[in-house]
Amino acid sequence: MKRQLILTAKPIDEAALLAGRQISAGMGAVVNFLGVVRGQEEDRTIVAIEYEAFEQMVAHQFSLLFDEIATRWPVESVRLVHRVGVVRVNEPSLWLEIVAPHRAEAFAAGQWLIDEMKRVVPIWKKPIFVGEKSGAD
Amino acid sequence: MQITVHFYSYFKELTGAAEVSETLADQATLGALHDQLLVRFPKLVAMKRSTLLAVGVDYETRNHVLKDGDEVSLFPPVQGG
Repeated sequence: MKRQLILTAKPIDEAALLAGRQISAGMGAVVNFLGVVRGQEEDRTIVAIEYEAFEQMVAHQFSLLFDEIATRWPVESVRLVHRVGVVRVNEPSLWLEIVAPHRAEAFAAGQWLIDEMKRVVPIWKKPIFVGEKSGAD
Repeated sequence: MQITVHFYSYFKELTGAAEVSETLADQATLGALHDQLLVRFPKLVAMKRSTLLAVGVDYETRNHVLKDGDEVSLFPPVQGG
């Protein structure tokens, strides 16, 4: 199974990621998911979220999760991009692509990966409320 | 033995530090280190049950036996996505 993980402080370049897609002839499903910063956090209006990552452990934990996907579903490739630093409202913080022979395993693997990411991958978020200074200001 | 401890997310604010060093007896467990840190940083006590513990880049349980030079990380529940 091909795998790619990118942690980046830059905006996610969806066009470049889509241009880099590789699919073999036997694949019939591509699931793409974008996680986008919402404008509300705990009933308060926010302008952005600042993401912090323990990067070496993020890479290791995603590697373990990708290993598990390879044992559970016939997935051909997984590509995942996660932002670090300040991400403004409406911008994507997460981009995921799963390529598989059929939609059922592509959706299942993607759902499972995001659920597990939220359980074990050491990334944290800090909301930046209206009027607060952020690293992007 | 000497253990380096890293704090992440708001644990850095609760402790006032991103990294500290702790001295422990040989064969001490991760749980013993955690208990020692709760005495040194009482603001972590409220988070005791939900604190995640890692040695290097792997999660470990409280009965994991530490060795000299280990790098231990403490942090609150993760929130990626």
